[in-house]
Amino acid sequence: MSRFFTTGSDSESESSLSGEELVTKPVGGNYGKQPLLLSEDEEDTKRVVRSAKDKRFEELTNLIRTIRNAMKIRDVTKCLEEFELLGKAYGKAKSIVDKEGVPRFYIRILADLEDYLNELWEDKEGKKKMNKNNAKALSTLRQKIRKYNRDFESHITSYKQNPEQSADEDAEKNEEDSEGSSDEDEDEDGVSAATFLKKKSEAPSGESRKFLKKMDVRARDEDEDSEDSEDDEDWDTGSTSSDSDSEEEEGKQTALASRFLKKAPTTDEDKKAAEKKREDKAKKKHDRKSKRLDEEEEDNEGGEWERVRGGVPLVKEKPKMFAKGTEITHAVVIKKLNEILQARGKKGTDRAAQIELLQLLVQIAAENNLGEGVIVKIKFNIIASLYDYNPNLATYMKPEMWGKCLDCINELMDILFANPNIFVGENILEESENLHNADQPLRVRGCILTLVERMDEEFTKIMQNTDPHSQEYVEHLKDEAQVCAIIERVQRYLEEKGTTEEVCRIYLLRILHTYYKFDYKAHQRQLTPPEGSSKSEQDQAENEGEDSAVLMERLCKYIYAKDRTDRIRTCAILCHIYHHALHSRWYQARDLMLMSHLQDNIQHADPPVQILYNRTMVQLGICAFRQGLTKDAHNALLDIQSSGRAKELLGQGLLLRSLQERNQEQEKVERRRQVPFHLHINLELLECVYLVSAMLLEIPYMAAHESDARRRMISKQFHHQLRVGERQPLLGPPESMREHVVAASKAMKMGDWKTCHSFIINEKMNGKVWDLFPEADKVRTMLVRKIQEESLRTYLFTYSSVYDSISMETLSDMFELDLPTVHSIISKMIINEELMASLDQPTQTVVMHRTEPTAQQNLALQLAEKLGSLVENNERVFDHKQGTYGGYFRDQKDGYRKNEGYMRRGGYRQQQSQTAY
Amino acid sequence: MASRKEGTGSTATSSSSTAGAAGKGKGKGGSGDSAVKQVQIDGLVVLKIIKHYQEEGQGTEVVQGVLLGLVVEDRLEITNCFPFPQHTEDDADFDEVQYQMEMMRSLRHVNIDHLHVGWYQSTYYGSFVTRALLDSQFSYQHAIEESVVLIYDPIKTAQGSLSLKAYRLTPKLMEVCKEKDFSPEALKKANITFEYMFEEVPIVIKNSHLINVLMWELEKKSAVADKHELLSLASSNHLGKNLQLLMDRVDEMSQDIVKYNTYMRNTSKQQQQKHQQENMQRQSRGEPPLPEEDLSKLFKPPQPPARMDSLLIAGQINTYCQNIKEFTAQNLGKLFMAQALQEYNN
Repeated sequence: MSRFFTTGSDSESESSLSGEELVTKPVGGNYGKQPLLLSEDEEDTKRVVRSAKDKRFEELTNLIRTIRNAMKIRDVTKCLEEFELLGKAYGKAKSIVDKEGVPRFYIRILADLEDYLNELWEDKEGKKKMNKNNAKALSTLRQKIRKYNRDFESHITSYKQNPEQSADEDAEKNEEDSEGSSDEDEDEDGVSAATFLKKKSEAPSGESRKFLKKMDVRARDEDEDSEDSEDDEDWDTGSTSSDSDSEEEEGKQTALASRFLKKAPTTDEDKKAAEKKREDKAKKKHDRKSKRLDEEEEDNEGGEWERVRGGVPLVKEKPKMFAKGTEITHAVVIKKLNEILQARGKKGTDRAAQIELLQLLVQIAAENNLGEGVIVKIKFNIIASLYDYNPNLATYMKPEMWGKCLDCINELMDILFANPNIFVGENILEESENLHNADQPLRVRGCILTLVERMDEEFTKIMQNTDPHSQEYVEHLKDEAQVCAIIERVQRYLEEKGTTEEVCRIYLLRILHTYYKFDYKAHQRQLTPPEGSSKSEQDQAENEGEDSAVLMERLCKYIYAKDRTDRIRTCAILCHIYHHALHSRWYQARDLMLMSHLQDNIQHADPPVQILYNRTMVQLGICAFRQGLTKDAHNALLDIQSSGRAKELLGQGLLLRSLQERNQEQEKVERRRQVPFHLHINLELLECVYLVSAMLLEIPYMAAHESDARRRMISKQFHHQLRVGERQPLLGPPESMREHVVAASKAMKMGDWKTCHSFIINEKMNGKVWDLFPEADKVRTMLVRKIQEESLRTYLFTYSSVYDSISMETLSDMFELDLPTVHSIISKMIINEELMASLDQPTQTVVMHRTEPTAQQNLALQLAEKLGSLVENNERVFDHKQGTYGGYFRDQKDGYRKNEGYMRRGGYRQQQSQTAY
Repeated sequence: MASRKEGTGSTATSSSSTAGAAGKGKGKGGSGDSAVKQVQIDGLVVLKIIKHYQEEGQGTEVVQGVLLGLVVEDRLEITNCFPFPQHTEDDADFDEVQYQMEMMRSLRHVNIDHLHVGWYQSTYYGSFVTRALLDSQFSYQHAIEESVVLIYDPIKTAQGSLSLKAYRLTPKLMEVCKEKDFSPEALKKANITFEYMFEEVPIVIKNSHLINVLMWELEKKSAVADKHELLSLASSNHLGKNLQLLMDRVDEMSQDIVKYNTYMRNTSKQQQQKHQQENMQRQSRGEPPLPEEDLSKLFKPPQPPARMDSLLIAGQINTYCQNIKEFTAQNLGKLFMAQALQEYNN
């Protein structure tokens, strides 16, 4: 069940007639002790929660009804089938029957059936006419029922003696009803369960139940509003008798409930009668109005039985909105609404039909000017049913449904904006709802925010399930504007009326729809400083919209300040960082990331937030790269890239490799987490940025530490790519992005920046990667310069041993850098003790010191170190042999350690001295 | 390398089949039990080996071949040789034994010595002391007592002085290998160390008089420049490579020692614990404590690591060290010479 389902609308479905909230409550406790209650029980079939008894009996009555139908059309085969089912169903209901006694309607059907069969049996002529199957079934059924009825002999005889009386107790009022109303019933045999059932569906089914409930509710709900004078009278009779009890009721509800219920039948009768009268009257009045509905009703009259047989008793009432001539009042409409809603979520409910019904109801409500309150209420329910349409979480809404949903929300918003006196909220209790009292502000239960959140989810789902390379996707994406518009409207609405929490939620939604979009207008504006006069009108119109940066700032700050749940704040901050990074505001983005301390505790967040975090980190890295901050870029991307699962980590696709490892369930969950295509970050761009930054860092580092045995890799992935490149038996010109980077790295290793440059920036790479940046040229310029600088460094590291001195001018020529830059790079290297040299200012040359140990010296040093550890290990062996007598060597060992100092004497390399022991 | 090892293994089996022939040679030589004291190699063999390497060997690839000859008194005369063909993984069904037999038969037809007296192998910077070499030389020597292995070092040769060495396993090592027991105790008992694993047999290269005459003549004609390699002062590359290899071996050695160390620790710990436990039990039952032997019978000590590998590594390190020593000594000499020359010139 979705979150939506459990919170928002479930409560609505049990909703709203003022006296009726407690639908479920009395059922469990009160029923089941009184066989008398039978009829009421029966009428409660539409309830969401039913007692076991209800269910079983309903099953039985359904079957009985089918049998009677079959009897009517002399379909004995059908009778036989159904009878067998009935027997089974009865077996299931056994436990209840034991408690309750055999239900009368059951006895009745058994008796009737037997009589009927006997009749058929006697009727020789008719028998001859029967087809073979039927004849066969007849004999079988006759035998069966004879055998079966033996168990119920006493009941049946008593029934046969006095069919009226035995049925009386529970069917009394039904009889009255049937006489009072509907003509359709007349062709039925008077006292059958079927009539009774049918009638029940005819008569406003809430009636008696309402009454019953009323008695419980009274106690709590004294200030019951009186909407219908006739009704009111009825209820008053009920309440006067129960009022005295109501105070005690609070305490011992169950005990008292039975008393209430006992009284029920007596008052029930009066009430029913009155109700019927009223209905008849109303029928005439509103003949015309409900004509159309009535026609439908009639059309369905015949089919009604058919549908019921499918075990779907609930659908039965679908086509009838209101009986002919019913006066359309708030109460009636809402009652109807409740009826429809109660079918919700049940098996076999036709969801499409339900939506249609609701829409019809809205029309009726609108036609009858029932006020905005009711319409809003129904609209809420329509949207909820639209969401419910798909029972499966994984499947997505159909386009037409989606369109309806959007329209509906828009209409709802129209109404809400047009009528500021309507209060909507999920915390408005059903009983305190005010749907039509115009004097007071209207209050409707329902949460617009939840609806919109659900809408957003559905949108995501639609996008996830559409092929991103199809035209269809583009079509769907066009809806995004509408979604945004709705969110904006809701935002405006909630800003006025909502609580801070709600505002935070809607802000987050807004943020989620804003953060990934590059604000081209703002970007343009930045590029072209305002020139006042030359601005065209169109430009101005465009510029009127808030800069997304300002918007983000405002929304996020509100959330930072007001939000109580950690999740919304985390999401907001990540989106904010992402947005900053997307617009190349590196320092703001970085500071925000550092301030949030998300890096420390993101692993505790739920997967969608983690995905968002990964996306943000990646965007941050790309941003750093655009700014030429290679190291930061590399660090930001390292985690994502080193795993080799970037695709998965960014929620942009599932890895095939792990497909086998996870089961179906997990896969579904993961699929739901995928980010829609229009939010994707280009993976090739990502990898390229990472590899190029790694190259710019790693190549000089490798050159500087070529002979160092302990040098570490900065980027494993980069090395991996290099190795892959080396393994190629035949090296052609690079094709893929990776090959380009590898080829460039090789060139850079030799200090050949021009080749490197041509490998990194060329047609192919432009198309694949660089053109994807919003400021492609700027990035390219930056990149060229970086390549020049790092090549220079690499060159100096690699070839410094060859030179005694080298003029900076030469270097500047070689790398096409200006002299001050060369100077600064070399100075930096000297200061960092990377390059053992000094600058000779007058001649502008670099003088090498040649203090670097040669390769052989380095090797010798390493060898000495290794031998040291070897000796140490060896001594341990000796210790074992000698036991405690190894003291002499222990002393020596210390001495040995001291002696090792000579190796580090020079302090020529920081790394080495750090790691040596 | 795997295929190579296999190759040497199969030659070993083949050599045992030619044992009869070798025995004949031995009988002719009558060289008693102190096998061979000297190896006399024909110039032809040396040239053939060099040629073989030049054609087929490169880098770390080694080439191998069969030596043919006969034993005369305490002198092993190697008069001819032929290479093992290089073969790749693809033709796995290539029968080396068949090939050798075929070769030897053909050679006999043209009246060349066809007695199997050993094998030769090229080496890369002197790294030849390996398990593979030990195994195959053992099987050679096991089958044909006087067989030797000739190690040809192409790199040193390229520097100007021919490097060709003949090795045999010492009798002690032969014993150990026969036992197939490389546990620390066994090696200790055999009193074997890395210095006494291989014995080098002095080599004499002998040419016919005609060839000698030709050589004299050629020497006069050849330009001086051909000998310049000998005087090359460039040392760093060679030295570096040697150091690198030496370092690798030292690393291996270290690991080996660590392994041995853990073994030692485990054994002693186990022994102590078990001993105590068992004796405690016995005490509680009122029996005398068990003597040591019974205990070791009762509890199986952990499997001791084979020490042969460490011996080989040590041997290899030894070779490297000697190489380096030799090389540096020569180089120092050259450097002094160069210095003197320079001073003289100035």
